Amino acid sequence: MRQFRLFFRKEMLEMGRSYKWLWVPLVFLMLGIMQPVVTKFMPEILKSAGNLPKGMTIAIEPPSGAEVLAQTLGQYNSVGLLILVLSIMTLISGERQSGVSQMIFTRPVSYVSYAAAKWASMLSLVTISFALGYAGAWYYTVQMIGSVDAGAAVKAGLFYLLWLWFAGSLTLLMSSLLNPAAGIAFVSLGAALLLSMASGWLPRYMTYSPGSLPQISAKWLQSSGEAKVAAGAAILCLACIVIFFMGTVHQVKLRKSKLNTQI
Amino acid sequence: MTRTLLQVKGLSKRFKEREVIKGISFTIAEGSCAALLGPNGAGKTTTISMLAGLLQPSGGSIELQANGGPAADRRPYIGYLPQMPVFYPWMTGTEFLLYAGELAGLTSREAKRETGEWLEAVGLRDAGKRRIGGYSGGMKQRLGLAQALIHRPKLLILDEPVSALDPAGRKDVLTLLERIRRETTVLFSTHVLHDAEEICDEILMIREGEIALQGNLDQVRRTYSEPVIRVMVGGDEASRSWLNAACSKDFVIHSEVSGSRAKLTVADVDQAMHALMADAVSHHVLLRSLEAGQSTLEDLFLKVVQS
Repeated sequence: MRQFRLFFRKEMLEMGRSYKWLWVPLVFLMLGIMQPVVTKFMPEILKSAGNLPKGMTIAIEPPSGAEVLAQTLGQYNSVGLLILVLSIMTLISGERQSGVSQMIFTRPVSYVSYAAAKWASMLSLVTISFALGYAGAWYYTVQMIGSVDAGAAVKAGLFYLLWLWFAGSLTLLMSSLLNPAAGIAFVSLGAALLLSMASGWLPRYMTYSPGSLPQISAKWLQSSGEAKVAAGAAILCLACIVIFFMGTVHQVKLRKSKLNTQI
Repeated sequence: MTRTLLQVKGLSKRFKEREVIKGISFTIAEGSCAALLGPNGAGKTTTISMLAGLLQPSGGSIELQANGGPAADRRPYIGYLPQMPVFYPWMTGTEFLLYAGELAGLTSREAKRETGEWLEAVGLRDAGKRRIGGYSGGMKQRLGLAQALIHRPKLLILDEPVSALDPAGRKDVLTLLERIRRETTVLFSTHVLHDAEEICDEILMIREGEIALQGNLDQVRRTYSEPVIRVMVGGDEASRSWLNAACSKDFVIHSEVSGSRAKLTVADVDQAMHALMADAVSHHVLLRSLEAGQSTLEDLFLKVVQS
């Protein structure tokens, strides 16, 4: 427990000094605010584009607050996911590649504490960034578009957060498995996007897949969510996160330094 | 004094098909300073990584004696400095030592005290407040020594501690090692023989994953050193051809000639000196120098490596 605290404190310090605590939440906040603002001013934006034929009128039906919030989540699924993966991809592989891990693992340290601290710091970065961005999106949506049912918004946010945790845990697992940063980002992003798209293509087989969580949260926003499906996907997602974590611990123990990569 | 601290039996390591370490055995006595010598690629770093617990051996055993019996986990008793120590560039020297000390099991109070002491000892007291990213190679090496020693290990393992340093940095580290070895048992790998001769009392030479030679430094010197005559003659043609001819005399066991210098391994120094001098005089050779001596550790190393 003491070692976990030490590792966690170090991770927090590192994220602070490398300004991750600044730019990741800021990007999430920007993404969150942009959607309602752009939606609100869309007619004006189109008008000022100017090259419309004379006499043409644009009639955009104003979307509901829930729809705008759902679109925001869509933004997070592309750019947000990319930022998330990029910011945490070298969390484990970086230390192994640079060689610091040699000095860490020749000490009597626990591999579980090490991996748990990485994981906990990843979760806190993701949770706080997303909470900030989602709160910003919600606030601007209510101000500019229209009200959103609070219960539905919170539930949808939690389901979506679970999906981000899943993506983060997957990235950490890849970081413990692979060395090149580009490879880690490619595999994690690819797998997450594939899972997310697969639940659209094969809804019958992917009902409970973690990849359907983004859609589930969008449905809950429009208050058409099914409790059974949501609970199933959430449980499966949590199980995956636990399995990823155990895999990470195992890999960390197996590959203590870059010397081990020759195996 | 001669209690065994580390006992290695039949240690081997294979990477896929290639056997890098082929079953080596040795012991290190408490309080000694041992040097692991060998050419590049002989398996020094692999051996050291296994001792430090970074690599899993393919076979054999490593036993460290602690508190009157073999230790189940030897990591608390080992201090390790990798070949090229890398730190977190965003941390300060003080922060890293505190972190390293606490990870090794010191309380935060102990870690604070030891950090102060070691920063002072390695001459980084003022630099301790600065970020490690701005440290020079020598400073990093000294910080590396401090982090390896902060928990007062029984055995200090260093991988090529001075190979990458400039002469000044190297002297700093060697002076430090000289001081440290009075308190701790030290094992370090190097291919710089001069360093080994300066501070070690035990040597282990490995070649292609096997121990080629091991033992007490003085003993090794006595057993393996051979009488050697070093000759230098003038640059003229006659002297040079005499030198080449001298190499094939029957009292010369082995010879190496480079230009106007020659190194002759002989059986009996006195007799050989007499013969050489008489011969040189009779041929009117310009002798620049003629020196009788013993072969050095470097000669032995080259012999072991090339045999």
